[in-house]
Amino acid sequence: METRDKLIQITNLEKHYNFGKIKALDGVTVDIDKGDVMVVIGPSGSGKSTFLRSLNLLEEPTGGAIIFDNVDITKKKYKDENGKWVKVNMDLHRQKMGMVFQHFNLFPHKTIMENMILAPVKVKHMPEDVAKKKAYDLLGRVGLFDRADAYPIQLSGGQKQRIAIVRALMMEPEVMLFDEPTSALDPEMVGEVLDVMKQLADEGMTMVVVTHEMGFAREVGNRVLFMADGKLLEQGSPDEIFNHPNHLRLKEFLSKVL
Amino acid sequence: MDSFIQIENFSKISPYASLFWQGMAVTIMLSLFTVAIGFVLALILSAMRMTKFYPLAFLGLDKDGHQKEKGIGVTIGKFNPISFLATAYVEILRSTPVIVQVAIIYYGVFGALIELPNFTFLGFIKFERFFPGVVALGMNSGAYLCEIMRSGIQSIDGGQTEAARSLGMSQFQNMKYIILPQAIKNILPAIANEFVVIIKESAITYTIGVQDIMSAVNAVRGATFIIIEPLLVATAIYFCLCFPTSKVIAYFERRMSRGDKR
Repeated sequence: METRDKLIQITNLEKHYNFGKIKALDGVTVDIDKGDVMVVIGPSGSGKSTFLRSLNLLEEPTGGAIIFDNVDITKKKYKDENGKWVKVNMDLHRQKMGMVFQHFNLFPHKTIMENMILAPVKVKHMPEDVAKKKAYDLLGRVGLFDRADAYPIQLSGGQKQRIAIVRALMMEPEVMLFDEPTSALDPEMVGEVLDVMKQLADEGMTMVVVTHEMGFAREVGNRVLFMADGKLLEQGSPDEIFNHPNHLRLKEFLSKVL
Repeated sequence: MDSFIQIENFSKISPYASLFWQGMAVTIMLSLFTVAIGFVLALILSAMRMTKFYPLAFLGLDKDGHQKEKGIGVTIGKFNPISFLATAYVEILRSTPVIVQVAIIYYGVFGALIELPNFTFLGFIKFERFFPGVVALGMNSGAYLCEIMRSGIQSIDGGQTEAARSLGMSQFQNMKYIILPQAIKNILPAIANEFVVIIKESAITYTIGVQDIMSAVNAVRGATFIIIEPLLVATAIYFCLCFPTSKVIAYFERRMSRGDKR
């Protein structure tokens, strides 16, 4: 078996509401390795978005652990090797996790270029000319080189999402999280966004993708997770999941979506 | 029969024109200082409300630093004394009449507690009456402006904060670069409205003897027994102050929203 670098270790992750009456996440345990393209599928309300958003603490889990960079980021503070209490600096961890949202969330009051260089310049203190050069490189790669000075409102949905992806890439993250990146798009624009994601996967980027695009899961994913009722019911290669499903819920789900 | 307005009355009150000019100057000064105090106060109050200061948060953590799910410790841990003070201030000021606040500040705070120097500036403004008026109006509009700022910040889609934070920006950077620039644009009409309200509301300070436009009306009435015409002059002056102010701000509002259009 090939050796794998574990990037994020998730153990027994829980997200409860109303004192445990509602369990959005109910004990999810999974490792994300470097280079994984992990696709999370499942019916709506299954907790897959909550799972993804917990990874960079946009949702605060109520139990379990997420080990990233040897730190359990679900804790507010931890003891370092000298036994001193250290506060967990979530901003620092988030810089290493790019996130792409269903509704793009571009900054409407800033141009595309400003959207892209804001965080690198202000957070990572990258010199502005270096950031701009990098931004033009990335814009060229997604075919939007000439839209640098446009405002988000002037772009189509597909263009916005491609910008959102490269905006996250500007921070040079170790892992990219995609929260239903194509669900808010017109059908004819889904392809252009998936192409960019596929390109990213081919370059070896570690990705966690929540999506309803089964074609993408099958072609690009190397691991597929099936979630229902906040639980991780089945995981495996795309072939195992799509062609040899075990769990009844998964079979039901696949019969509806395929 | 007498008509409602008698033109000759205007010429009868014309010797008192300087009172109206002085009253207008006082009203303008009063409003400018009030706006300045109110705005600074509102910024401070908003910042206080947004602090993440939880001195008792440790009561809500378990022994290895995890946030506990429930219990009295969690509830107490969420108590933020700074935010509580600001919210209490805003709610009290918004739930009581300005005229009462002005009276309390003038008779209570500056009448009994703090003694103000008794002098006149710019030739006709009595400091010991003007200053309490400004303080009271400023405290009041600070509360309203704080509420406006809060609603402006809340009007920004939560996805904006999520995007900013997911890029590694701190809470402060998110506010500075993402939320406030958008929020200010949204609340500009409400702030403009508040400025116009302050100009009009400043009339209430004549009850503590500030010599603004309204007090000029009373002075003229006392001297000439004419009431309608001085009131009409006052109306005209207030209109001339408020209407252009709102128009000027509307102009800047249009300019700022250019980025929104294609």
